This record gives sequence, C-alpha cells and structure tokens, in this order.
Amino acid sequence: RWHPIGILVQDPVGFNADEAHNIVKECVDGVLGGEDCNQNNINQWTAGIVEEFLTYLVKLVKAYKYIVTGAVIQRSAYGFHTASSWFWDSTSDGTCTVRWENRTMNCIVNVFAIAVVL
Amino acid sequence: MEKRERGGKPAPSQAPQQSPVTARKERRPSMFEKEAYAQILKERLRESFHDVQYVEPPFDDSIVDIGKEWKSALAKLKFANSYRMEPLKKFQAHSVETKVQQILKESLKDVKYDDKVFSHLSLELADRILLAVKEFGFHRYKFIIKVLFIQKTGQAINIASRWIWDVAWDSWVEAKHETESYVALALVFALYCE
Repeated sequence: RWHPIGILVQDPVGFNADEAHNIVKECVDGVLGGEDCNQNNINQWTAGIVEEFLTYLVKLVKAYKYIVTGAVIQRSAYGFHTASSWFWDSTSDGTCTVRWENRTMNCIVNVFAIAVVL
Repeated sequence: MEKRERGGKPAPSQAPQQSPVTARKERRPSMFEKEAYAQILKERLRESFHDVQYVEPPFDDSIVDIGKEWKSALAKLKFANSYRMEPLKKFQAHSVETKVQQILKESLKDVKYDDKVFSHLSLELADRILLAVKEFGFHRYKFIIKVLFIQKTGQAINIASRWIWDVAWDSWVEAKHETESYVALALVFALYCE
C-alpha cells in the first residue's frame, strides 16, 4: 500500500521461515561456510556476519529499525543459555532467531525488527 | 553449499543426510560412483546445518486478524497532535547500567553453574531486568533485553551486535557478571517510538 509521501510501506508481517533461511544461507554460509574455527579470524567473522545480515535487511526496504546480535562459539563441551524479553507493540514488531552450526563452530543470530511509524 | 549436476543418468540413491530445510533442485551424486565419492566426502566434512529457532509473531492467521481489527479501530479515533518530536526524558544509559549491574550481582551472587536452573533463571532475569527498566519511566520507549550465560570451559566465544536506529534517542546498555564457572552478560536496547 502506498503512503501519501510516495514511499512504499509494507504492512509489517514479521519474518517468514523461508526468508530467514535465505538470509542465513547468504550471510552465514558465505562467511563461515567450510571454515574451521580459527582464533585469528573469528573476530572478523562475527562482525562480518552481523553486518551482512544488517545490509541484507536494509536492502528489503521496509520501515523498520533493526537490531542484529550474533554469537560465534567454538564447538566443545560447554553450556550456553540465552533469553530475551521485550517491551514493544506485538502487532507490528517481531523477532527471529537462527542457529547455524558446522563441525567446529556454533553460530546464533538474533534479529529484532521494530516498526517505524511514518 | 555446492551441488554438482548429474548429466543424464538418474542417481540411484540419494545421500542419506538430507537437510530438510534447503530445497534441493539437483540430486546429489551417488556415493557408489567413484568420482563423486571424494566430492561428497569433502562436502560432508564441511557440511553445515542451520535451522530457525524461534520466530515471533507466530504465523497463525488468527493472531494477525486480531491485531488488524484493533489497529483499524484505533485509527478511527483521531488523536490530537501532541507536537512532540522528542522524548520527554531521554534514555539515560549510566543510571540504567548501574541498576542492571546491581540486579545481576544480587541474583547471581552465589549461584553455581547448573543446566536446569540456568534455563529458567535466564528467563526470570530477563523479565526482572525488563520490569526494572520500565520502572525508570522513559515514556514512548520500546525495550529489548538479552541475557546470555556462557559456561567457562576454555572455548572461545565472540558476540557482536549491529543496529540501525535513530542515533539521537536510541541507545544500549551492557552489564557483565563474571564468576569462576560462567559469565553472565545482559544487553539492554532502548528505542524511541514516535
């Protein structure tokens, strides 16, 4: 639907699973795919993944503010818990969490999208 | 992941570990063909797996309709223009940081790492921090709280966050609580909503 100013504003629908999978394939697989956990590069990779996610989301051109949080952990016997709570408008804002793993690393990326009311 | 197209011959058996998530357009080469074996082995070694852990709001049609009804009802009430371009009370990161650090310290004072306890302790902490931040009374702000517990077993972990928001009014706060066996990290994001 068209907003009077002429910018296309889509009704916030949240993320669907296919879109999330696509994003993960492009962003995470592109950076970490086929790589083994490496102390020198892990910093760059984490930053790279999160930035790629954000650029992908921005390219979708929706009226949202985004927060992307990523954690890359070396695979070993460890425990990891994460919880989120939020205070927002549940009709227009949403989140999605994706977990990616390979032989040597685990990666968890969390995306929050808050609608901007134009 | 790279897929090689089989020319002509239909492959008799497919590789057993099919990831249900990715739609495969081309069939993987069979394990029994010699040339393909090396390639499959290589693929298997780099094999990565991903899945979507959690999505909110859920995709039930019923919930979507409720939201829309409420919203259209709201649109019919015309609110008077408040002419307010900025928040009355800007988000003060330092006071929130001390409060969150205090909550973390109190709740995790002598708590040892334990799987079952931590899974609902993390939820409880997230809710508690959210209540505390709301009590500050920053009007028209939306909050997101993230709580992470990482067990210290000598592995490496990297956490990064990036965001797109209004730099003038939106901000974030971080608090860390470290003990011998684990590290607890709390992140609070505050976004101004017009």
